[in-house]
Amino acid sequence: MRICILTWEYPPRVVGGIARHCEGLAKAIAHEGHEVHIFTLDFPGAPDYEEIDGVKIYRTVTELGHPNFLTWALLFNHFLEKRLGQVSQQVKFDILHVHDWLTTPAGISSKYRLGKPMVLTVHSTEVGRAQGIHNPDSFAIDGMEWWATYEANKVIVTSNSMKGELCGHFHLPADKIEVISNAIELTKYNISIDRQSVRGRYGVGPHEKLVLCVGRLVPQKGIEHLIHAVPSISWRHPEARFVIVGEGWLKSHLEHLARTTGHGWKIRFTGFIPDSEVIALMTSADVLVIPSIYEPFGIVALEGMAARVPVVASQVGGLAEVVEHDRTGILVYSRNPESVAWGVDRILSDPGHARWLTENARERIQKTYSWEAIAKKTMKVYKEVGE
Amino acid sequence: MSQEVPEEFRLLCMLHNIGATKWEKSLSIQEISQWTAMETSSIEFHLQKLVELGDVQPIEGEGVGKYHLTPDGIRKVLTLYS
Repeated sequence: MRICILTWEYPPRVVGGIARHCEGLAKAIAHEGHEVHIFTLDFPGAPDYEEIDGVKIYRTVTELGHPNFLTWALLFNHFLEKRLGQVSQQVKFDILHVHDWLTTPAGISSKYRLGKPMVLTVHSTEVGRAQGIHNPDSFAIDGMEWWATYEANKVIVTSNSMKGELCGHFHLPADKIEVISNAIELTKYNISIDRQSVRGRYGVGPHEKLVLCVGRLVPQKGIEHLIHAVPSISWRHPEARFVIVGEGWLKSHLEHLARTTGHGWKIRFTGFIPDSEVIALMTSADVLVIPSIYEPFGIVALEGMAARVPVVASQVGGLAEVVEHDRTGILVYSRNPESVAWGVDRILSDPGHARWLTENARERIQKTYSWEAIAKKTMKVYKEVGE
Repeated sequence: MSQEVPEEFRLLCMLHNIGATKWEKSLSIQEISQWTAMETSSIEFHLQKLVELGDVQPIEGEGVGKYHLTPDGIRKVLTLYS
C-alpha cells in the first residue's frame, strides 16, 4: 500500500505528541513493507527531502506568511497541497492520512483530486486545548475540526475519552471512530546511565528525592497545581527537589509562582532539553508527576512507565486509561494540589510499592503499547476504507 | 487560569507566521512593523527580550539589524498551537 501522511510536526520539528506519533507509526508501517510518504513543514537544518528507516519525508517551505496563525495555517496548507500534487504525479497513493485540523485543508482537497479515501487522526480538539471557544479564530478552528471529521472516511483517536469528546461535541457517529492508542519504542528506554551524575546536572544530591514533571508550559498541563503542591510535599519530604522540563508561554508566570511558594530554590525549570536527556532524567527520577487538566492521551505517562519511574497522574482523559490506579501508577484529582501532594507522598513514602507499580507498568506497556500493534490496527483501518 | 499570552511571545509567534524562521528570511524592525502594524519602539523592546531568551537571532544585513527565530524559538511558538 502507498500511504500519504500529512502532519505539521515531524522530527526534528517536535513539540507535542503528534511528531512522535507520526514518526513511530510511519516507521512501523514502513517496516511492514508498505510505502510511507510524509508531507510536513520545513525546519532549520533539515533537508527538504530525505528517507529515514524506509519513510520518505518531504519538508515544504511556506513561501507566503501572515502574522495571524489561522491565516498562516491556511497558507502553509496551500504549499503542502502543491508539494503533494507534484509527488502524486509520480506516486499513486492509496490512502491519505491527516493528523489534526492543521493539515486538513490540504488533505480534503487531495482526497477529491486524487479520488482516494482520507483517514483523520484527532490528537486533541480546540475546545479541549483552549478549555472553551473564546475568540473568532478558535471558533473557526473548531469548525475546521468538525469539517475534517465530516469529510474523513474514518476518524482515529488515541483514547476512549477522546472518542466521547468527538461524539459529544461534534455529534459524530460512534461507529465512524476507531480508538487506536499511542505507543512507545521501548528500546530507547533500555539505557544504562549514571543516575547520580544525571541528577547532579540538575542540582539534585544523592540523598535527595527527584520529583520530575515533563510537559509544555501551557495551562492545559496544569503545572501550577504541582507548584502549589510543593509546600505540602516539602513538609512531608524536605529532601524533595523538583525539576520541570519543557517550554511555553506560561513559563514566566510559573517561575514567579514557584518563587511565591517559599520553596522556589527547590524548583528548577530546564527549558527544552534533547529527548536523550529527558529519558536520562526520567530514568533517574523518583517520581514523575503529570498534573494535566486536559490530556487526550498523555504519551508522557507511557514514557515514564517505560523508564521505570513511578507515575502520579491526574485522572483526566487518556491518562485515566493509560494509568491503572494503584496498579501501574497513582491517579489523583485534577486541579487539586493536595491530591497531587498525596500521590507524590504515596510514592516517596513506600519505595517497595513504588517499585511494584513500575514493574506492573513496564509489563503493561510491553503487552499493549507497541508500534507494531498500533501499525497493524491502523493498516486494518486503511484497508477498510480502501475497500 | 486567566493568564494572557505575554506580548513578546505574541511577537515571536507573528515573526514565525510571517516566515522569519531562518537567516535568509530575517527581517528588519521596519519590515516587522509593516507586517505586524506594531510601533517600532515596542518591537525593539520585545526583540531585546527575545534575543536574551535565545528565541531570536540578530544579524547584521545590508547595514541594518535583522532578526529571525532560532530553532528553540520555533519550538516555543509551536507549544502554543500543538
